[in-house]
Amino acid sequence: MSYSVDISVEAPIENQIQEITYDGTEIYQPPLTISESLAKYAQKIDFSRVSDVDVKKEESNEDSKSDADSKDAFQSSLWPWDGVRNKLRSALQEVCVLADVLAIAKEKRYLVLDPVQQEPLETKPMVQIYARKKALAGNYICNSLTFLKLCIVGAANVLLAGAEKLKTSQNEAARNRTTMDFHIELLRLRQNWRLKKVSNTIIGDLSYRTAGSKYLQTGTFEVTKAEEEEKSSSPPSSPLPGGPAPVKPNSALRVSIPSELQGVAYIEVLCQKDQEDLCSANINLLGSGPPATNPDMHWQQKLEAAQNVLFCKELFNQLAKEAVQLQAPIPHMVVGNQIMATVLPGIQLIIGLCHSTTGDKKQQNPAPSKSDHDHVLEHSLHQLLREVHHKNTHIPFPHPATGPLGPSKKRMIAGPMAADRYELLEMTKTETLLEQIVKQAQHFIMRMRTEYVLDTIAKEIRDPLISSHWNTLNSPTQSCVKINISTHGYDAVCRTPLVIHVGEKSLKCICRDGKVMNMSYEPQELRDLIMCHINQHQILAVQALAKTMGWQALGNSNHLGTGSVEPLGNASSCLLSSPTGDRIIAVRCEPQAGTQVSVAHSPRSDFFPSRLVTERKWEHLGGQFRDVRLDKMEGRNFLHKMELLMASLTSNS
Amino acid sequence: MLGFQNQKNVCKIICMMGVTILTQFPTGNRTGPETVEVLSKRILALGAAQQGQFLVDCDTYTSIPQLGPQRTVHVLHNSEQPATVFSLLESGNKTIPLAADGLFDLLMMKMSSFYTPKKQTKAESKGLRYEIGDFCVKLGTVTVSSNFKGILVEVEYRPCVVPAMCWDLLKEFLQGLLGQSAPGNLPAYLQNRVQEIYSPIDTIHQYLEHFTLFRKSPGGMGLRTQ
Repeated sequence: MSYSVDISVEAPIENQIQEITYDGTEIYQPPLTISESLAKYAQKIDFSRVSDVDVKKEESNEDSKSDADSKDAFQSSLWPWDGVRNKLRSALQEVCVLADVLAIAKEKRYLVLDPVQQEPLETKPMVQIYARKKALAGNYICNSLTFLKLCIVGAANVLLAGAEKLKTSQNEAARNRTTMDFHIELLRLRQNWRLKKVSNTIIGDLSYRTAGSKYLQTGTFEVTKAEEEEKSSSPPSSPLPGGPAPVKPNSALRVSIPSELQGVAYIEVLCQKDQEDLCSANINLLGSGPPATNPDMHWQQKLEAAQNVLFCKELFNQLAKEAVQLQAPIPHMVVGNQIMATVLPGIQLIIGLCHSTTGDKKQQNPAPSKSDHDHVLEHSLHQLLREVHHKNTHIPFPHPATGPLGPSKKRMIAGPMAADRYELLEMTKTETLLEQIVKQAQHFIMRMRTEYVLDTIAKEIRDPLISSHWNTLNSPTQSCVKINISTHGYDAVCRTPLVIHVGEKSLKCICRDGKVMNMSYEPQELRDLIMCHINQHQILAVQALAKTMGWQALGNSNHLGTGSVEPLGNASSCLLSSPTGDRIIAVRCEPQAGTQVSVAHSPRSDFFPSRLVTERKWEHLGGQFRDVRLDKMEGRNFLHKMELLMASLTSNS
Repeated sequence: MLGFQNQKNVCKIICMMGVTILTQFPTGNRTGPETVEVLSKRILALGAAQQGQFLVDCDTYTSIPQLGPQRTVHVLHNSEQPATVFSLLESGNKTIPLAADGLFDLLMMKMSSFYTPKKQTKAESKGLRYEIGDFCVKLGTVTVSSNFKGILVEVEYRPCVVPAMCWDLLKEFLQGLLGQSAPGNLPAYLQNRVQEIYSPIDTIHQYLEHFTLFRKSPGGMGLRTQ
């Protein structure tokens, strides 16, 4: 330990020369950065010096103690293990401290352990190798070897102790740094928000103006340095008992937001039918529920909340402006914080702006119990305004550089593509946000109605099976459903496909034969159409089945003119004759009354001429039709019954 | 069948131009306005509705001798495509069509030192536009440098874009409207392109053919329209 060498630490006056070129110019190494030079100097610190003093002190203590021992043997005899006890106690103390430090460091909230470059330790194995080499050199240096070993062990101890000290000092520094540096915080703020310095204050802007918004309300906020006293006093004065305990590191930065942007805002979309909610959507930029309006909230959350308020206000303002300007057949109403627009007769779209400024008013907001929260409407409202912003910032370039600014790309190519006047008229039309959201709401209701009609029909009618497949890909105002009418067990025999395009205010059905039916928003029309198609399906399926059974279709009519008048559509019918022609089945399908099946028998194979019927050929005219009571027949469904009927009539002949 | 309105299936996609047939209607011993009157009475009797007016005009420019063999540029405007300027460049026996936007007119003005406008050759066909079902009928009075030259009847069948597929229908319609003077065959320009998709420039070609004929016709009918 006494072999330590004093090291003087001083910076070189000039930088080291890296290279000398042939013409004699010297290329210097770049100067070290502060952290690099700190690391370099830290490596050069001789910790043994400090511990040497300690050791010396201890030694002197021991010396004095031994002196005392010799002088006062009584005391030493009283405490023979005194020294051991002291050392154990100090060791315990250190272990306790270490345990505490580790426990705190594990939390990672107050203290972070950074790896420290411990280059001096690496020299140890080198010394050992050197020592081993020396040991190999010969026995005559045995003495010096033991001496060296001692030296190395001592040096290692010194280094370890030094490292431990560095660690503890760093930990202490970290503990003191619970409040973050104002400038670091400001740097982080500046990475995410627009800031500028106006005389002595720092002003920020959280409006969407740089993203293309043209909303007039400013979104300026002021950044100040948080006062120490205020910080220490604010946690107890916090009115929220359930709020987060003041465990977070307090920010050294304080943002003050104008009062009209404080609090929580969201836009509520409701589709109402006679005071009954059909659907509702809450739009909230943050996605999660309304965050607590805690005065101690982190500035990031605070600013995000304020930005959300601004966004919602802009959206509502825009919608309200359009609602007043638009000339709708049923005028839109703007009352207070609500816009009412009639989507379909009897159904209203209500868009409301909810803005709660303080935490106490939170209870007034509708509870998030509305489970039919529609994400699609929420998302599209959000998207629509973003689209407007995007369009404002992304103006297409004028085509000749000197050309007019403004026309869309589509308009620019309209000339060379020889667009006609209809196309050009289409291009001049622009839809307002409200029109678009009304259209989307209309489509939403149309889709819901169509779904309901299809589901109820599928539930009511078991005998042909009605399955509907909704396309997964659709636009906010158009979707498509494919309906298959088939009979269980006879899918391969006959199937009636229908495609329904659900639009904004109308339905378009493309039938099996390619006919296109346009329907209004009334769900009854769709229901009637499907009922008619069920009838047609039954008749077609019976004929297809007859073909496979070897029966012959004598004729069919989809729109039968005879019989009672149907309330909707027409009855359809077909006539089938057995392979030998002696049996005839007549089927009549009515949308309301259901199916009727009648059978006519030709006479027996033996023929006895009478006075009236003289010749056998007249018997082929067929006899009277007799009704078949289908409900008494065996069979799973209509087609199965018909199959059994045909089979029995064929085998008889 | 169910009382549903089987409305015409309105095509949502921006429609391409339908097939157009342009034909000359002889005035006989009537004056121009009288002929137009007769035709408009006929078309209105068929149930057509008048839908505004139309105008097709044609300016012709010739290249200066320094540019080598003479070339001719016809610049045409059609009110049906208001944003477009059509031009047909005749060099040798080739005709190069071009559809450009309105700035092309300004470009021609800039090039006036290379392409000089032919005097007294501005041809135009203007008149009323009628719609009847899927057909669009235009009765145009043709003037060459404001001298009345004749009557051009344009009939467009909008749902179809291939001439071969709707020529028979158009022929029948034209016969119903024009009687004896209806064309028996497709216009010469379209005969080579019956299977191709019809585009607005094809209409322009037909107009140019007729304008060229009218220009060559001796002195017109000697009747001023105004």
